[in-house]
Amino acid sequence: MTAPILEAAGVTMVFGGLTALKDVSFTLRDGEIIGLIGPNGAGKTTLFNCLTGLYAPSRGAVALRGTRLACDPARVTAAGVARTFQNIRLFPGMTATENVLVGRHVRMTQGPLSSLLHGPRFRRSEAEAAERAEKLLAFVGLTRFADELARNLPYGDQRRLEIARALATEPSVLLLDEPTAGMNAQETQSTRQLILAIRDLGVSVVVIEHDTKFIFTLCDRVLVLVQGELLVAGTPDEVRGDPRVVEAYLGAPPEEIEAQIHRSEV
Amino acid sequence: MTTVQSPVPASAAPVSGRARGAGARGAAWLRVAGGLLAVLGALLPWATFVLNEGPYPEKATLQFFVAPLGLTGFRLHLALLGLAAILVSVRAVRGRARIVRALGWGIVATSLVNGLYITVEGGGLGAITASGGSAAFGAVVALIGGAFAAAGAVGGGIEPLPVREWRMPWWAEWLLLLVLFGLLLLVVSAVLTSGGQGGVVNPYAGAVFLSFLAAAGGAFAALHASGLLTWLAAVAERHRVFSIVVLLVMALLLPLTGAGTEYWMTVAANIGVYAATAIGLNIVVGLAGLLDLGYVAFLGIGAFVAANLSGAAASEIGIRLPFPLVMIISAVVAGLFGAVVGSPTLRVRGDYLAIVTLAFGEIFVRSAQNNIGGLTGGANAIPNIPQVSAFGTAFNESIAIGAVTLPAGVLYYVLIVLLVAVVMLVFGNLKNSRLGRAWIAIREDEDAARAMGIRTGPIKILAFLIGATLAGLAGAFFAHKTAVVAYDSFRFLESVTLLAAVILGGMGTIPGAVFGASILFVLPEKLREFADYRLLLFGLALVVIMRFRPQGIIPDRHRRTELAPVTAQDPPPAKGAEA
Ligand SMILES: Nc1ncnc2c1ncn2[C@@H]1O[C@H](COP(=O)(O)OP(=O)(O)OP(=O)(O)O)[C@@H](O)[C@H]1O
Ligand SMILES: [Mg+2]
Repeated sequence: MTAPILEAAGVTMVFGGLTALKDVSFTLRDGEIIGLIGPNGAGKTTLFNCLTGLYAPSRGAVALRGTRLACDPARVTAAGVARTFQNIRLFPGMTATENVLVGRHVRMTQGPLSSLLHGPRFRRSEAEAAERAEKLLAFVGLTRFADELARNLPYGDQRRLEIARALATEPSVLLLDEPTAGMNAQETQSTRQLILAIRDLGVSVVVIEHDTKFIFTLCDRVLVLVQGELLVAGTPDEVRGDPRVVEAYLGAPPEEIEAQIHRSEV
Repeated sequence: MTTVQSPVPASAAPVSGRARGAGARGAAWLRVAGGLLAVLGALLPWATFVLNEGPYPEKATLQFFVAPLGLTGFRLHLALLGLAAILVSVRAVRGRARIVRALGWGIVATSLVNGLYITVEGGGLGAITASGGSAAFGAVVALIGGAFAAAGAVGGGIEPLPVREWRMPWWAEWLLLLVLFGLLLLVVSAVLTSGGQGGVVNPYAGAVFLSFLAAAGGAFAALHASGLLTWLAAVAERHRVFSIVVLLVMALLLPLTGAGTEYWMTVAANIGVYAATAIGLNIVVGLAGLLDLGYVAFLGIGAFVAANLSGAAASEIGIRLPFPLVMIISAVVAGLFGAVVGSPTLRVRGDYLAIVTLAFGEIFVRSAQNNIGGLTGGANAIPNIPQVSAFGTAFNESIAIGAVTLPAGVLYYVLIVLLVAVVMLVFGNLKNSRLGRAWIAIREDEDAARAMGIRTGPIKILAFLIGATLAGLAGAFFAHKTAVVAYDSFRFLESVTLLAAVILGGMGTIPGAVFGASILFVLPEKLREFADYRLLLFGLALVVIMRFRPQGIIPDRHRRTELAPVTAQDPPPAKGAEA
């Protein structure tokens, strides 16, 4: 058996006196969709930041296919881990196409000189990048917004654009931080289809979500993070029935948990 | 979350159909009356007295304008604007209200400039009304006409900007662009020469120039309001290469127009130096979003390097290299300094970066002032830098081709036009490349850019390096053109001026930087007669422009300035710090 595609080993993150992550270890296998759930402030986003090199973990390490990842977002992305952000971080003053083209940055070879002279090789690489951007926008269903500024896109579409931009880096692992936050039922449904389609492209996915029903019906495995600690990991059925999870979620049964969370989000 | 549709004010006061019809008709009459008054005002006398100094009051007191076709006759402008307002008002033109509003404001501005000037010169309101047995109500009538037209336009309701999508065969569009750019050349020449060649020749040059600017501004705004300007820009964009070539040719033809004098060649060369430098700065500020307050130092470094390699007697090095080589060396040295200055700034952002660059600019000026290293001549400067020459002709001589004599300095003018063209090409090509997109991404959101795999450190240094290289190139030209390089040409004020050129023209665009640099040079030249008030007027102009067009006169298609107000569209910051 080959090394798991992504492996976190004993990741600990301390901010001053606050331990946001305590000894978190997990593995992501090829073609898997993992859900990451937990109450507000549990450390989910912090874990993503540690995985992508935005934060240097106080202890522990992250490895992609057995190779340890550097603590530099640019290099992590080049290695094949892409992400979206909980609070959308598009380039608001660039068009949808340009946002995706920025995602192509790590996969394009254009030196400064070639950028300056616009020779035939430059034009070929630009044409290829433009074609890919077009395909990716079509893939996430944003073709009609190709020339629209990112900041003018409807909220749900901004989230999709972030996914397209992340996919443009040709990742083998995609980390999605609350991809359906603020979406209605229909948009959420199409996001589910999108995530499944991404998995079918051969990309392994980790999804953070508060919508537990969404997670339990989408993911192959679910991780529950509570106060920085990995409380439970297992299949949706195992996690759903685990008493510790129920307790962590305010001692309510799953249906109520969801209602609770929805209320607290408003 | 994004475009919050402002609901149509359904609850606005219900207006009956008849009342609305009456209101619209009233507004239409107001527009026509405004146009008529403007024409009438143009034909009435304007001043109750004659100044014995020159043409301005002479024109103003005549019953009709002196030169009916003179482009600079303000009464002709008013008559034309008024006629246009009448014509547009009575015909079903798309964007009518917007057009008339623009024309109305143009009339108001033009009559205000002239009326105010005559009032001040004549010592009071009597100068433009009645005194000493003569009456002159031209200014008042025209002013009221303009106000009527604008009010009528606004009262009738302002419709959205019309979009025109006419298409013609390619040759017709080429012809159109050719005529258009030809006209542009004439307008530029007219703006430069309006009111004569400068303060010495014509004491009223400043007022005439301002008046011309007001009228031309009104006409341009009207063109824009009709959707024609946007359409023309789209046509030019369709034939991009053709347009660029024609524009370049037109720029090279300027010496053949009325502006082809030694004086304007010198001003144009200065504009070119600053335009090239501003485009370089535009890479750093406009594209990469790095506020640089000491940028003029790179122009200075280029100039001092060139001065030292030019064989000037005052230079310590005392070698003379050919000019093209000098240019390259100056550019490279300035670029290296750019990279060196850029590296320590990587760890600072925003305001702190601005302070660091400001400090660098000061270090440069002080070092040059104290002649550190013996390369700057200190307070004595480096004078007597030899002229550039080719084929036995020094670039500051006038040249004769057949019957045509071109003014002195024309060769420098040609050189700087080509230099600016090259700098524009560099900027345009870089902007539309992987590197340019990386710069813009850093400007938009540095953390997200890093998360997309952009190695922000080297890319930012590259912005500093390339920007400084372009400034160094301009510096080498500057040294030879002005023949003397002194430290006090590169002070903080110059950096601010450059920044103003970039912001004024429009960040991140090429025409913006050139236009900004032109305004910043032409305005002070033209306003010389206002002496003490010159800087005040200049500052006022800047404030007015930034108030009404914060994105700059020629804004980037999708420019987001830090000056733009934060809108509800921006996603609210999440609770947990994410980056
Ligand atoms: N840069 C930082 N400095 C200090 N504390 C931080 C930082 N980033 C996160 N934290 C803290 O770490 C804890 C975990 O935050 P995190 O954003 O990871 O939670 P989360 O599980 O994503 O929550 P949510 O569901 O609200 O998004 C919080 O207490 C947060 O305040
Ligand atoms: Mg979070």
